[in-house]
Amino acid sequence: MDTPLIQTVLIPALQVLLVIAILPLGIAYLQLVERKVLGFMQVRLAPRRVGWHGLLQPIADAVKLLIKEDIVPDKADRFLFTLAPIVTVIPALAGLAVIPIAGAPFTLFGYTVRPFITDLNVAVLYLLAISSLGIYGIILGGWASNSKYSLLGALRSSAQMISYEVPLGFAIIGVLMLSGSASMVEIVNSQKTAHVWYILPQLVGFFCYFISAVAETNRVPFDLPEAEAELVAGFHTEYSGMKFAFFFLAEYTNMIVVSSIATILFFGGWLRPFPNAAGSAWLENGWLFFTPLILLGFVGWLVDQKAGTGLNGMFTGLAAGAVLGFLLGRFDVGGLASASVPVLSGAFWFSLKVSIFLFVYIWFRGTYPRYRYDQLMSLGWKWLIPLSVLNVLVTGIAMVLFG
Amino acid sequence: MATVTTAPRTAPGFKDFLKTVLLAELWVGLWVTLKNQFRPHITVEYPKETVELSPRFRGVPRLRFHPESGEELCIACHLCETVCPDDCIHIVSEKNPDGKGKRLVSFEINYERCCFCGLCVDPCPTKPLTAIYMSHDYEMADFKREGFVAPLKTLLDGIEPTTYKE
Repeated sequence: MDTPLIQTVLIPALQVLLVIAILPLGIAYLQLVERKVLGFMQVRLAPRRVGWHGLLQPIADAVKLLIKEDIVPDKADRFLFTLAPIVTVIPALAGLAVIPIAGAPFTLFGYTVRPFITDLNVAVLYLLAISSLGIYGIILGGWASNSKYSLLGALRSSAQMISYEVPLGFAIIGVLMLSGSASMVEIVNSQKTAHVWYILPQLVGFFCYFISAVAETNRVPFDLPEAEAELVAGFHTEYSGMKFAFFFLAEYTNMIVVSSIATILFFGGWLRPFPNAAGSAWLENGWLFFTPLILLGFVGWLVDQKAGTGLNGMFTGLAAGAVLGFLLGRFDVGGLASASVPVLSGAFWFSLKVSIFLFVYIWFRGTYPRYRYDQLMSLGWKWLIPLSVLNVLVTGIAMVLFG
Repeated sequence: MATVTTAPRTAPGFKDFLKTVLLAELWVGLWVTLKNQFRPHITVEYPKETVELSPRFRGVPRLRFHPESGEELCIACHLCETVCPDDCIHIVSEKNPDGKGKRLVSFEINYERCCFCGLCVDPCPTKPLTAIYMSHDYEMADFKREGFVAPLKTLLDGIEPTTYKE
């Protein structure tokens, strides 16, 4: 094969395969993290039977879902019932195509690899369009199940999506005005030239965006479509086995996509904190320091939960991680520090920010009760939409006055 | 006539306005769950660990031997059978061939009916200990109903608790 063909076809195809292969595993472990964090918030231990501190639980769950009987209700519309999970999961995965995890392309085996699958110049619009497609799967699934709970869940979901799509779009407009581009890469680069993450000028926009995003992904406190207390399991009541797993995959992929958009638009994407300050240049290699710090701190925390030793384990882990990370950076083990790979640094900061968002999702789930249906509607229409429109207005005026 | 006084409703001030706008209550809630994450757990991982029982815990009723001589303590007085509100104790006794009184032929407790009230222990006349007592056993699940009717031997010796593989 000649080089251009490999460059333009094979490498993006491999990237797509990589995303599709790694994502379900990552989501399985995200689910474990969710169960752990929820458990700790409720002062209990969470999964601990499979593997050390339950670390193999996601594998066991995946195997269980794969070999479970795939039940289709008698009176369900078989075709739409099968179609619904697919329609839900494809837009969710497609959204990942425009998410850049780092800025600059890098060279691997002589080929240029870009740290994103594609860089659309209308990426934000594309994401908005794709994310609203996912609702079709939910509506189809709810209707095709021929069950009252599923249908109610699907109806709530569609109403919710219609209400929250609007503030979601308006909240992003402020960032688009500031950066003057709708391409993800350009938006992050403009944050570098502006010397500030857009969270500061766009605090209200971010507020609106994040609340709408939580509602858009059907997560607590806006999880009315699946409201387990009222609707059994909402739109996926009748689903089992792999079809259920697909809905599950779609929900968590949507969470990741929405968190990535928040990171890119408001928190500088792959940029390190203070991207232009000379004093923070060491943060460029921050992943060498922070990765052991975070990992060992987390392990120590897990040990603490069982041993009941307060937080000694976590602090020991953090200290050990800090020392290890410092030594790694100081003595340049394996040439990692001097290599200064921008992709690794970018990927680290990007995934750290996304992880914080995902944690906030779980944190919300552990804290807030579900909104009532009319409260949900009035929050969307009476507060978020006016607020986000006002934000666009104020941003525009400020840009004319000070820009 | 008592007059009902209600606190005068104050108009919401600037502080209340700030509280609403800054979502004060929501942050309080988040802070509670964040703190809770760092508290040690209270889970008891049951088959591996068990909770510590109070000395007065009422598990399944059993019979016991004399602590020194090792003889059966029960004198077959039928008092526990009489007092039992569930009729779960069934005693068969005969005249003691060597000496006075009666002795046990069989003593059955039907745990399916037992309500663990401990009333059988109160009237038991034997010294220095009551012959029937509330033990600390509570792991009594079984696959068959017959397993819940405990004969004399089980009552005296107890059941070997099931051990689970790791």
